[in-house]
Amino acid sequence: MDFNEHELYRAAIHGDRDAFEMIIRTQSRALFAIAYGILQNREEAEDTVQDALVKAWKSRWRVRDPKKFPAWLTTIARHRARDVYRKRRHVPLSDDMTKPLEQESPTNTGTESLDRHVHSALAALPEIYRSALMLRYFEDMDYRTIENTLGLSNGALRGILGRALASMRKQLRPALASLEQP
Amino acid sequence: MTIHDSIDNYLVADLHNELSAKERDALHTHLVECAACRQTHQENKIMNKVLEKTLTTEKPDPAFEQRMLAGFRNRNPQKTGGIAKLIVDLMRLRATQITALAALLLAFVQVGRMITGEGASVSRSREMSAGMDERQNFKKDEDAVGPAVGGGLSAPMQTKGEDKPDVASFASKSTDLNRPESGAASDQLQVQPEFRDKALAPSAKMAPIKAPQTTGAPENQTATPNEGAESPALPSAVANRKLVRNAKVELEVEGFDTTVQKITAFVNEERGYVATTSSRKEANGKLRGEVVIKIIPENLDRFLQKLRGLGELKNQSLGTEDVTKAYFDTDSRLKNARVMEQRLIDILKTKTGKVSDLLQVEKELGRVREDIEKMQGALKYMDASVQFATVTISLAEKDLEEPAAFLLKERAQLTLYAPEVEKVYNDIKALASPKTQITNAQLDRDNIGRISARVSMLIAPEESEGVITRVKAMGRVENFQVQTERVAQGGAGMSENAKTKRDKVELNITLSREEQEEAFQQTSLRIRTSTVDGKTKELRNLTGKQNGRIRSLSFSRDPDGREFANMSLRVPMRNYNALMQSLNSLGKVENVSVQRQDRTGAQIDEANAPADLSVQIYSQGNIVSHESGLFATLRRTLAQSAAAIMWSLRMIGVAVAFLAPWVIALVAVVWVGKRVARARRR
Repeated sequence: MDFNEHELYRAAIHGDRDAFEMIIRTQSRALFAIAYGILQNREEAEDTVQDALVKAWKSRWRVRDPKKFPAWLTTIARHRARDVYRKRRHVPLSDDMTKPLEQESPTNTGTESLDRHVHSALAALPEIYRSALMLRYFEDMDYRTIENTLGLSNGALRGILGRALASMRKQLRPALASLEQP
Repeated sequence: MTIHDSIDNYLVADLHNELSAKERDALHTHLVECAACRQTHQENKIMNKVLEKTLTTEKPDPAFEQRMLAGFRNRNPQKTGGIAKLIVDLMRLRATQITALAALLLAFVQVGRMITGEGASVSRSREMSAGMDERQNFKKDEDAVGPAVGGGLSAPMQTKGEDKPDVASFASKSTDLNRPESGAASDQLQVQPEFRDKALAPSAKMAPIKAPQTTGAPENQTATPNEGAESPALPSAVANRKLVRNAKVELEVEGFDTTVQKITAFVNEERGYVATTSSRKEANGKLRGEVVIKIIPENLDRFLQKLRGLGELKNQSLGTEDVTKAYFDTDSRLKNARVMEQRLIDILKTKTGKVSDLLQVEKELGRVREDIEKMQGALKYMDASVQFATVTISLAEKDLEEPAAFLLKERAQLTLYAPEVEKVYNDIKALASPKTQITNAQLDRDNIGRISARVSMLIAPEESEGVITRVKAMGRVENFQVQTERVAQGGAGMSENAKTKRDKVELNITLSREEQEEAFQQTSLRIRTSTVDGKTKELRNLTGKQNGRIRSLSFSRDPDGREFANMSLRVPMRNYNALMQSLNSLGKVENVSVQRQDRTGAQIDEANAPADLSVQIYSQGNIVSHESGLFATLRRTLAQSAAAIMWSLRMIGVAVAFLAPWVIALVAVVWVGKRVARARRR
């Protein structure tokens, strides 16, 4: 970890607002990615990040080791997102998402239906898979940063991403086949 | 693990450009060989593209960070409370926490020490660690004090060894400079200008003061400073102080006069004189007194030692008053006044100015002379006080507290019952004579006819026996008590020689009528007979025969034909048994109960004491009552059943009163509940 970054976290823990705002600037997108990975909803994810940041500021003194600050922030965001997820009454999951994909007509092409398929495939993935995917595709993070943020080893991250893509590939094969044709 | 097995991981990492060069080469080699993996690679590529395309639309917009910041700032406004925040932030620092904890522990230790009082040992150890010279100082102090006390002189000024050189050097310095002095020192300068250098010394802490009359002074002046600090300076320093010594001694001696003679002898030996003697004789013939002795101070301690041999030492106090300052103050003021006097005389001699001014000068001169005389007197007095120590000896003979005499005080209490209180009262009053004085007499008659009297008298001891006997004969004695007290006079405790004297006897008499007297014995009984009336008359006669009196009588007859006569009689105790026996002739005696009251402390003439009898004479009456028989029983049964019905009615009423409010409340609740439920269903 960078020495400057370390100092930044230290300052933030000791109540330096400017330092904390700096962290918000650098970290909030990653947090959004994680929250989105869980919630699959932009507005909710944004609110979650907001809540997580406020909560982090209020309980910042609990962090003993500045090195662990980003991971701690991530944890807060993840917990918050799970809370939100648990509280919402499964309403946003529309019927067509829960329906088996085979019943969809593969000929029904177009980006909209593909998007929906992608989302439902994502929803079927484990949470950590989604988080890793989001960090990669939203933020174009390199593997090292993702490992730091999620607290994973390189091998584990590769495994997660590999399995995630494989699983999606399998689920979306019919839709993809139609896309491949032209 | 081969590449083929974990092809997914490799492919994705390749797409994300996260493979090392070596891995990439290995993967590409494998892809050339393996068709299945190539297929997967193709699919993955598409998948990656789809994901990129789909998720970019979901990506947060560029203003996302700004929104987050704004939201954060909104929800966490910057606090201005500086100090509290600072403290809170400080407390979060590890170093601060450790410091605070240490301070807290230290505080606990200190508090514990204060509670257990352990602090003393600490201070002592600190003392021990102090330098050697301080201990040496202590030693020197002791040395300085020791001889002074031993020589019969207390040491008001303890000259520390180390002070001496200071004083000397200071003195010498000031001599060299010869500069004018100010403040307290200047007074001293005027007192003894010739000893200026020495007189300067008092401005330093403790220094000897030279009295004007000391002849050894020139020596000191010529001496070098070092010599001045040598030990010979010490006694002269003490000797030059004006000390007034006083002692007070309390002695208990065998004989006052012999002791005073002995004291006088001692005083003469020690070159003193007896200033005053005073003595007083106590009631028991013992003497106490005071002797004031004047003696030269050097011999005081020896004299006190001798005094101890004279008797038992009860108390001794020895005091020294240092009047040095007052003495020299007065002395210097006297010198000033003399100068002033001389000046005024000079003015008068030149005789210039107005007459009124001259008069003023004359007046002033008079005042100054008066002052001079006063001060001279004061100085003389002080000289005298210093010259002689005063010893006040209080003498008391042994057994001073022994009582001189005893007084025997007798107090008698007499309670009398008499048939005619007024007559007896007057008889007692008639006993009055110079030796029998009536101090208080009072006759009370209340509204229900009770009469009582109280007489208090003082009787000369020789007359008391006769008077008391005569009073006793006037009525029946209920109670007679004599209390004797021996009072010590002029002291306390026992005395073998003291005489005992009889004092006047105090007699208190209480008179009351016989009727008011409580019976000595109370008896109640019933007599069954067929002719109540006749037997009642017979009982009256019997009572009269036995010197008794009927106190009350009542007669009644009930519906069943039973007759009752209740009688209450009083007879003297000596006739009681005879009456009881004669009662048997009247009929069958039943339910006899006897109650006797033993009045403690009362000296009662038992034969004459009254005994009360309460007798009920009754007849059996009709065998069959009016209240029996068929109709009566029927009537009673009906009445009882009616009463039972009435009672149950009342109980029902009570039950209703209990339950009604609850039932009403319950019904109301149920009704409201039903209404609510119906409204909800709609």
